[in-house]
Amino acid sequence: MLKEELETTAFLARIDIKDEEKEKYLKDINSMLDYIEILQEPSVATLKPTTHVTELKNVWRQDIVKPCSRETIEQMLNGAPEREGTFYKIKKVIEAQ
Amino acid sequence: MIRAKELSIKICSKEVKSVDVVKECFSRIKEVDSKVKAFLKLNEESALRQAQRVDKKENKKCGILEGIPIAIKDNIMVKGESMTSASKYLERYVSPYDATVIEKLKEAGTIFIGRTNMDEFAMGGSTETSAYKKTANPWNIEYIPGGSSGGSAAAVSAGMIPFALGSDTGGSIRQPAGFCGIVGYKPSYGLISRYGACALASSFDQIGTLTKNVMDAALLTSVIAGKDYRDPVCQPNEWIDYTKGLNGPDVLKTLKIGIPKQLSDYKIDPEITKYFNEAVNKLKAENAQVVEIDIPAYKYVPALYKVIMCAEVSANIATFDGIRYGYRSPNSVSLNDQYAKSRGESLGYEVKKRILFGTYVLGAKNYHRCYHQAQKVRTLLINQIEQAYKQCDFIFTPATLQMPVKFGETLPEECDIFLIAANLAGLAGITVPCSFTSNGMPMGVHFMGTRFSDAKLFKVANAFEKVASFDVDRYPTL
Repeated sequence: MLKEELETTAFLARIDIKDEEKEKYLKDINSMLDYIEILQEPSVATLKPTTHVTELKNVWRQDIVKPCSRETIEQMLNGAPEREGTFYKIKKVIEAQ
Repeated sequence: MIRAKELSIKICSKEVKSVDVVKECFSRIKEVDSKVKAFLKLNEESALRQAQRVDKKENKKCGILEGIPIAIKDNIMVKGESMTSASKYLERYVSPYDATVIEKLKEAGTIFIGRTNMDEFAMGGSTETSAYKKTANPWNIEYIPGGSSGGSAAAVSAGMIPFALGSDTGGSIRQPAGFCGIVGYKPSYGLISRYGACALASSFDQIGTLTKNVMDAALLTSVIAGKDYRDPVCQPNEWIDYTKGLNGPDVLKTLKIGIPKQLSDYKIDPEITKYFNEAVNKLKAENAQVVEIDIPAYKYVPALYKVIMCAEVSANIATFDGIRYGYRSPNSVSLNDQYAKSRGESLGYEVKKRILFGTYVLGAKNYHRCYHQAQKVRTLLINQIEQAYKQCDFIFTPATLQMPVKFGETLPEECDIFLIAANLAGLAGITVPCSFTSNGMPMGVHFMGTRFSDAKLFKVANAFEKVASFDVDRYPTL
């Protein structure tokens, strides 16, 4: 991984990393990339990938809104760094023309 | 500190007061936790109030764990309490609901004493990545307790609490239990609901128990296991009393114990080898049949685990956006900037490194060669383990290949591969202490059974505990 790739990955992951830490990240992640090489070794072309060990199938249900107590709503909203009424407040995402 | 099983009988019959048990816990905590630093938070007042209510109860109907104190790893939600996952990101988070295991513990009458330290978001094997404090190994406070459930393991081991809950994604219950000389149990994937636990890698995560002995692990599991529609991978199994028949006769007789021949591929602490061989001989003396099994894919375990775990971490931690809860950076200029700075400023290095590596292996350019390939190698490992179980009932190894290290030192990556294999294949695993080594620290062994062999696993571990010479009632001097 090169410095530019690290910066792109950090942008994709939405993580701010400090300039002075970049070398350390690169060193650590590049040593982890050795794992990828190790995993190319066995012949597994005919095997199915395992995502989960369960054999559970997807279960469909009606999309019905269930009521939630006012107390719970308040508790959930109170956990937010910023709120306005019953909304979470974030920075403006649409610029004025 | 007496066993939870005996305590439950004595509290129910009013022979022992719950208040006295809770007071004893807090007096031990006050005596030793300034050195061990196992707890992040304590609830002394509310615990005592709860215990008084138990003692005043007139009717004789007791919950299974009525009046018994328990400690909870700080990544499981208790309504109205903080839950930090040992991260600055969740420093001010208050849980709006109970995790399923907490609901079940409340129903059973347990008393919540406090929250235990851990690696940040359970990412680590030493409890050193906690944003708050470093927990020490009670047997020698210059050494790590293991992790990520290091606080729970140290609290139980030091006699501050009869038992505790932890979580295990890649050995995070069993490795610290091994290092601290207690019993650590990770259930089969899907046996215990994870609803209300902070997710790390969802295809591996399980909640489990840290106890002084196997009986208490079985007792606690009987309370917290069982179906739950809120965790979609939780199996709808019928309720089982895991303590039933635990002391039955001849459990080890004719039992087939598989020992992986791959053990000889790794550098193992000579004392661990010595006491492990003694443990094998004790099983043989009980007429267990010991067979050699061959699982060549063990060598891929560290690589497999790192790739899949980090990929799942990057997906799970993406929910931490600084919008609905958690830390929000005051220094940002736009929404994207706010996400990046909120995480950048509040998450520790280990967590960020794992997210970055996970994001990289999931990227469109790398997905096939990295993540998809790892999932196929995971299938290979699972197939080989399934083959091995045709020759044996349980796979038996040392809990860890090395003894705990001092703070700041690192363990070799193969140290706990025999534990991580259970997470990769969704199997049940339990570590049981077996000996003290010459430096005065304990070591353990690990039994791994097929998926949903948990009831049998408890019986085997319990039978081993009886023949092992380890004194489970011994506590460290602090």
